[in-house]
Amino acid sequence: MKAQRRVAVTGLGLTGPWGGDVDDFFRRMLAGVSAIAQYDSGEAHLAVSMPAVRCTDFDPLADIGHKVPTLDRSGLLGLAAANAAWRQAGLPMAETPQRRAGVFWGTALPGALTIERCYRDVFIGQRARIAPLTLVTAMSNSTASHIAIEHKLGGPCLTYTIACAAAATAIGEGFRRIRDGSVDVVVTGGSDSPLSIGTVRAWEAMRVLAGSAPRGAAAACRPFAADRDGLVLGEGAAALVLEEWSHAQARGATILAELAGYGCSSDAGHLVRPSQDGQVAAMRGALDDAGLSHTDIGYVNAHGTATPEGDPIEIAAIREVFGAHAAALPVSATKSMHGHMMGATGAIEALLCIQALRHGAIPPTAHLDDVSADCAGVFHVRGAALEHKIGACLSNSFAFGGSNAVLALRRA
Amino acid sequence: MDSLTLIRDFALGNGDIQPDKIVPEAVLADIGIDSLMLLELLFEFEETSGIALPKDLPHPTTVQDLVDQLDKLRAQTPSTTA
Repeated sequence: MKAQRRVAVTGLGLTGPWGGDVDDFFRRMLAGVSAIAQYDSGEAHLAVSMPAVRCTDFDPLADIGHKVPTLDRSGLLGLAAANAAWRQAGLPMAETPQRRAGVFWGTALPGALTIERCYRDVFIGQRARIAPLTLVTAMSNSTASHIAIEHKLGGPCLTYTIACAAAATAIGEGFRRIRDGSVDVVVTGGSDSPLSIGTVRAWEAMRVLAGSAPRGAAAACRPFAADRDGLVLGEGAAALVLEEWSHAQARGATILAELAGYGCSSDAGHLVRPSQDGQVAAMRGALDDAGLSHTDIGYVNAHGTATPEGDPIEIAAIREVFGAHAAALPVSATKSMHGHMMGATGAIEALLCIQALRHGAIPPTAHLDDVSADCAGVFHVRGAALEHKIGACLSNSFAFGGSNAVLALRRA
Repeated sequence: MDSLTLIRDFALGNGDIQPDKIVPEAVLADIGIDSLMLLELLFEFEETSGIALPKDLPHPTTVQDLVDQLDKLRAQTPSTTA
């Protein structure tokens, strides 16, 4: 039987609330520092004021190196992260499209800001004409296409718009394309900038956003806590360069981690109420795919959005998958600090998992003083980082729509 | 604003172009004004001049071609104040 191709992670890129330094971001996560702050949209008649995470220092020209007038802010965040991952991987810049290299990108509402501007022009400004680049800027595959153009990635260029599971799905599908022999190199990850006023209002209407009271904006997102109050929206991007193992070894690349498995499932039940069975299927799928036993897993980066309904279901799913091992299994939800970056969140959390594998340290769930009774039964990492050498971990992403994606990562 | 200045301002604001490259004989595509950017430039011209462009406007090759087109449109619309 032919040996299965393995997949190495050789590059990480980030556009985050404190910039693009992955190590700095990880240090802050270990220290329990929240990037969440009060966001005021500044338009008096439509004002939005809520806890959120923003990449306030992001400078597209400086961070990308050239102007890109055909990208929404979401895409600019993504391209900057992809470029950073590419730089770390140290892959050469090709002159012509490379057919064995592809892009697999996740995003939830990529053109929201551009579409909103367009609607303002049409419906408020009463203008019959709008900027010609609106369409190509707002289209969902714009970010992936720009990444492909930038790095001459001439293989599959695919975009996954699967709400909160978009990036994890993109990473998993890219992983499979390397493993099945279609490509050798993949740039993957996700990006989103969901803070357009219309998008925020739509989220508010779902009644799932956290308020800043009573503990202040920085502590607004409290996954698994008895006093959890909902999720916090954030913008950002993260990217991974995936590479077939021997391809990476042959060029002397530093292998940061192994992407070992991917599981995905659909709840096929309800549009927004999560299903324990669906989540169990995705976690077991990732373990089986990786050839790992549940006892091999030393950490789960939970989806953990801090909604009253979602958190207990995820913990119940983890308990079902891990059985007697669950009580000692370190679990944390880093959204308590970096917020919910929608289509980017699975990539940011995979990045944190890789850092945890590399450094033997697990970031905590912040603001988790009092674990909710319905979220008990796992070892919640809280209060401080856990120094803990782990061989493998899972990163969970569960989306509205009932799509579940779980990545299994192994220490290199 | 004359047409060459409009092109210069647009190119400098939307691309990574050296100002000295924006000369009459320069090929638009070579200085970063591809078909997409040309659409945006023409849109900006319409917005600032108030002149509606015909749909069958020939595709200009050089900066001078574009200057000539824009100047001609202005000449055909004497009431404009742009």
